[in-house]
Amino acid sequence: MLTSILLLIFLSFCIGTGVWLFFLYSVKKGEFDDIEGPKYRMLDDEDDNQQRTDDERNIP
Amino acid sequence: MKDTDLCTHCDLPIPPNDLVTDEIDGLQLRFCCHGCRGAYRIIRGAGLTSFYQRRDRQSGTLKDAYGSRFDAEYLQRFVHARENSAEINLIVDGIRCASCIWLIEHILLQEQGVRSARVNFATHRVLIEFDSGATTPAQLCTKLTDIGYLPRPFSHDELQRSAEQERRSLMYRFGTAAFLSMQLMGFSLALYGGYFQGIDPFTRKLLQIFSAIVTTPVVFYSGFPFLQGAWYSLRNRLPNMDLLIALGSLSAYGYSLYAMTTEAEVYFDTAAMIITLILAGRLFESGARRKASAGVDRLLQLAPARSRQILADGSDVSVDSSQLNPGDLIMVQAGERFPTDGLIASGSTEVDESAVTGESLPVLREPGSVITSGTLNLSGSVSVEVTAAAADSFVARVAGLVEQAQVRKAPVQRLADRVATLFIPFVILVALATYLFWLGQPEALMHAITVLVVACPCALGLATPTAVMVATGRAAESGILFRGGDVLEACADLTKIAFDKTGTLTCGKPQVVSVKPVSGSEAELLQLAAAAESCSNHPLALGLIAELERRELTYQKASASTTIAGRGIEANAAGAILLAGSRRFLIERSIAVPDGHAGAGSEIHIALAGRYCGVIALEDRLRENAKEVVNRLKRHGYATLLLTGDNPETAARIANTLEIVDWQAELTPGEKTRLIEAALNSGDRVMMVGDGINDAPALTSATVGCALAGSIDIAVESADLILARPNLAHLAFALKLARRSLTIIRQNLLWAFSYNLVAIPLAASGKLLPAYGAAAMAISSICVVTNSLRLKNTRED
Repeated sequence: MLTSILLLIFLSFCIGTGVWLFFLYSVKKGEFDDIEGPKYRMLDDEDDNQQRTDDERNIP
Repeated sequence: MKDTDLCTHCDLPIPPNDLVTDEIDGLQLRFCCHGCRGAYRIIRGAGLTSFYQRRDRQSGTLKDAYGSRFDAEYLQRFVHARENSAEINLIVDGIRCASCIWLIEHILLQEQGVRSARVNFATHRVLIEFDSGATTPAQLCTKLTDIGYLPRPFSHDELQRSAEQERRSLMYRFGTAAFLSMQLMGFSLALYGGYFQGIDPFTRKLLQIFSAIVTTPVVFYSGFPFLQGAWYSLRNRLPNMDLLIALGSLSAYGYSLYAMTTEAEVYFDTAAMIITLILAGRLFESGARRKASAGVDRLLQLAPARSRQILADGSDVSVDSSQLNPGDLIMVQAGERFPTDGLIASGSTEVDESAVTGESLPVLREPGSVITSGTLNLSGSVSVEVTAAAADSFVARVAGLVEQAQVRKAPVQRLADRVATLFIPFVILVALATYLFWLGQPEALMHAITVLVVACPCALGLATPTAVMVATGRAAESGILFRGGDVLEACADLTKIAFDKTGTLTCGKPQVVSVKPVSGSEAELLQLAAAAESCSNHPLALGLIAELERRELTYQKASASTTIAGRGIEANAAGAILLAGSRRFLIERSIAVPDGHAGAGSEIHIALAGRYCGVIALEDRLRENAKEVVNRLKRHGYATLLLTGDNPETAARIANTLEIVDWQAELTPGEKTRLIEAALNSGDRVMMVGDGINDAPALTSATVGCALAGSIDIAVESADLILARPNLAHLAFALKLARRSLTIIRQNLLWAFSYNLVAIPLAASGKLLPAYGAAAMAISSICVVTNSLRLKNTRED
């Protein structure tokens, strides 16, 4: 019982630490500098050719 | 034949499958897509078809409009060298929406030598990494100007660097606190479970130790700014919010450590939660402030840092704009912005003043005209006599005002501080008294600490910020921007509302209301007037041309037209002299003008070859809902006031229609300001509603300055309350929201105080276990937050 609690606590602590370090890393990389842009960026089609073939496929 | 295969609007070849045709003006026009057809119809509808003749076939933009040259040597200073590439940070003017960002990034990436280009949507800065051998910053800037954006080099100054540093450190502290609090929650849940269902002492001890371990960094690392603030406040003997937070979390933390030695319950979660939640609040606040300061950056950088000074011998040198003194002569070429305020010494040009006045149409500036810094020189190079040093220029003054506005303390903090000055010593005294009262019994210390825990400032601290946050968020959904919580509070108890006329109560666009020819048809008179006015960008001329477009009349452009400022236009039509302008203008040219006023705002009288032809009356129409909104405001008990620079007749007519009793006409901006100040001195709390920058001083001096935005940049910077959509009904909604928020804030504060009023005596009398105290505190916080969230449902009506 106690061993499993200790194990779980340790596990959650490790996962949490991993996420925390990832967070610190992303702040350092400037991921949070522009929190407005991504919601618009995701609508952009990077590949225009891809878009065209998609459009053509939709034409009956 | 080849010509017809090009799209009428965008001038690009039409892919065979995508052809869209439309019949406009009896012409079969071909477009490459429906978007282009729509754009063409819009441009035509706005009476701007001449764009298609004026534009440069190569790039699609107006010739010379953005043809500024870049000083390679100057740009080089902003380039950061990397290992085998270089980086430059540009601030780009003219970004309006997400597609601008897409366009800029893709255009730059197509350029040879560009490794990466990334636009920051919030700050309008673009970071370009490029191969310094393959391209130069000047080339990149030229590329951007080709598609209609104006780039300027961006340099970090110390202040911005430290602000960014601060934001990052806040982010680290909050991230850490959030992560550890989540861990702590797990332990606390287990401990609470154990409290009710029983737990074996060893496991309990273990969980408590883990709790202590994760809480320590939250209190001492994440909570460091509060501890520091508390320490300063103690040293200065000025109790503030920081002291309250530090005391709350430290006492919970200290008590829990003590409780671990005595087998009592621990309250580490209280200590950690206080700090985590308040850090989250600070983070939101700093985000809002950052957005505001990015606006100031953009504003300041409107004025170019370098200018060309003309020396006494006629040669010119490139100097820093900051070194210019009043009296100096500078040369400003087409496509450049004016570095500082001045008078045109020679040459004439069209100036885009939209950044300053919100007026999107260019205005003609001739020798002697006043030039405002930050405006854009569109068509010709001019020499300008400097009238103000760059540091005193219009742009710098406005930026200074905005910065002042941002450092003023929000009422949230002022109130909390005021409360803290009384509340904290009181709580400490009660805790001390409790301890002394129970002295000699084992629970004495526990009771005293319960008082401190239960008196935790959570609900009190959340009462105002949550309401302000929810209300400003709700307002922003409707395009209403409150510049801070103090504005919200100030809006809630106004007594008087002063309106500017042009562009605020009226649309700011004159429309033709009557055409009175002496002989012949209305159409003939309109065509005659249009012949003269078609060369002008004056709002009246544009109103006239729009009327012709509406009636689908064609007209011939007159040749050799000259504009006599403030009078009218003299042109040459089919060999005869055509005059169009004010009554005074025609009388000066010894033409007999019949008496009688057309009864509308402005008149254009027309005479051809010395013979009077008739008059066209134009009127700047009231906004659709102006009357309704003014009535609604009056019903809510606000006094209304009309302040305008226009003539008394127009002002009286508008005031009558809107039933505004109190009005003043022919006012200068300075007089408007004095009138506002007079009202303030007589005890009124006044809101000034205006648009352009000529209202700026009045907006600033009023209790609340409200800008009805035609532009999104500067005009808006001097206002406290910004209606981003030009709809007057939003003004009434903003005031309603402000009143509701104040009610909610008062409810919250009342609740938080009455909670303390009940809980502290209970805790002091030893009737309350710390566990119940902490729960009560949490519930009271939830009540406050839920109450604030009700603001989200405020309806526009």
